[in-house]
Amino acid sequence: MSGMFVEVAPPTLPASNVAPAAAGGRGRTARRVARRLGRGVVPYLYLIPALGMLIVWTYRPLVETANYSFYSWNLSPTQPATPVGWHNYHRLFTLPELGGSVWRTLLMILGLLPFTIVIPVVVGLLSREVRGRARSIYQALIFLPFLVAPVASAAVWQWLLSPRSGAVNRATGSSVNWFHERWPALIAITGITGWHVLGFAVVVVAAGLASINGDYAEAASVDGASRWQITRWLTLPLLSPTLVFLVLSTALLFAPQWTFPLIDTLTQGGPVNATTNVYYLLWEYGIQSFDAGLASAAGVVFFIGFGLVAAVLLWISERVTIHDN
Amino acid sequence: MTLANFDAPVMPGGQSRTRVVVGHLTLAVLGLACVFPIYWLYATSLRRPNDVYEVSPLPWPLSVGSYRTAIDEINVLRLLLNTTLIAVLTALGQLLTSLLAAYAFAAWNFPLKRVLYLAFVGSWLVPFQVAMLPNYVLLHQLGLLNTLSGVIVPNLVSGLGVLLLRQHLDSFPKELLEAARMDGRSSWSTLWTVVVPNLRAALAALGILLLVNAWNEYFWPALVLQRHNDVLQLGIRSFMSATEGDDWGPLTATAGLACLPIFIIYLVLQRHVVSGFVRSGLR
Repeated sequence: MSGMFVEVAPPTLPASNVAPAAAGGRGRTARRVARRLGRGVVPYLYLIPALGMLIVWTYRPLVETANYSFYSWNLSPTQPATPVGWHNYHRLFTLPELGGSVWRTLLMILGLLPFTIVIPVVVGLLSREVRGRARSIYQALIFLPFLVAPVASAAVWQWLLSPRSGAVNRATGSSVNWFHERWPALIAITGITGWHVLGFAVVVVAAGLASINGDYAEAASVDGASRWQITRWLTLPLLSPTLVFLVLSTALLFAPQWTFPLIDTLTQGGPVNATTNVYYLLWEYGIQSFDAGLASAAGVVFFIGFGLVAAVLLWISERVTIHDN
Repeated sequence: MTLANFDAPVMPGGQSRTRVVVGHLTLAVLGLACVFPIYWLYATSLRRPNDVYEVSPLPWPLSVGSYRTAIDEINVLRLLLNTTLIAVLTALGQLLTSLLAAYAFAAWNFPLKRVLYLAFVGSWLVPFQVAMLPNYVLLHQLGLLNTLSGVIVPNLVSGLGVLLLRQHLDSFPKELLEAARMDGRSSWSTLWTVVVPNLRAALAALGILLLVNAWNEYFWPALVLQRHNDVLQLGIRSFMSATEGDDWGPLTATAGLACLPIFIIYLVLQRHVVSGFVRSGLR
């Protein structure tokens, strides 16, 4: 497929563009060189829109964030930024918020794993014999919360978990003030996020189970393996690529992106920072306290940490994944 | 192996009745549990304003009073229009830039190809919170803060879109491209007359996925539209904070309206929506 379009015939030039014969061979050569250069440029022309946007809105800001982190600035156009060296990093690591927010991010990821791994696998194994139309209807229902806007879900969950009149407390007879007590708030945010992403995980696990070749199980059962043995030693190992993918999504995608709108609308990180994870902390530093230097230093530290975590997870996943060859 | 067993391992004992029943029960219970909050959202919004605190499972008698209040208090129709505009333009823009870039990667070899492709793959490693401040400053300089364009413009590229479309294009029969070249077509006309018609299913699935994401997007609108709550997601939020969050009728009515278009798309194109998301891998 190399140079698939390199030989594309050039559009026929309008007569007026054809150089007069007097220009002779030199003009023609120049044109040929120009044409060849032009062809080399073609793929880049197709890339320009996407690549330009990517540079302007993703990679340029990354560099600028690194730059801001050495200045003290309140984001005001009239206020000059003053260079402060490593001071912002020093502040970041002496402030108590960073460690706490990292810890709470980990708790949220751990709390999401039952929703993205345990329940989907159990449900997937229990429901393998349900097929056809019934199955797709169930899956459609289970998948629905994944399409609900996080703010809309914040609205309905605030009502469901309302301390005195909410359906949850009335049904269970509890009097927990869900979004105003430390642990309940953390559990609620994690649980609502879990509700959002559960359907996605169920459908992914079901697809993973369906793609496992039935010959292995058949052979094993001919050899006298029990149902549980087949599940433990065949099905789950063959499902491992799917599970690794779900762990990665949970840690790198669901925990960061789905929790943010819920935290911002339901608890604003409170009570007393109980639901402030690293993503919300960056928002607080930058947009609420207008502390561009500190926010940028946190952004840089966080970007490096995020990259390291992603690399380690990918490396581990290479080791533990069993591929069906 | 028979066709019926194609998608699941054959288990000793085969399809015992209990197992099928257990399967149905598990899926039904989970399905109901997942849907209940959504049901409750619409049930509350359809109660008579005086009955909002009721917890009877069926909202009866029905009333659209809460919807009327919501439309009176915040201009829901305008928000709906704005959100539609933003979501459609964002999704179309992302689809177009992704298509062009994926075409470049699939059809040519050129210097720096690998590096440039990695730039797209790696873009998800830069969370938006990290890039937020410089982008905020740039939007300010461009005069796009508190405008709808300010929400759309920074989101006109989708790394995922490029990845997915390139995968599709890589498995595209090269003979077709070759034949178009023999016909003397330019690469541009080949794209629109050969590639796009054959890629329609993939483009539709990706388009739906991008549309849903853009519709539900919260972070950028919250950052850019701080002065006016001009999209549905922010309208719901303003309701939550303005009413101290206990005006449940109008609040659930707004939230219900905000979800309705996506649910309708889902109802019509269910299979495509699910497979679009599942096949997307890492979003």
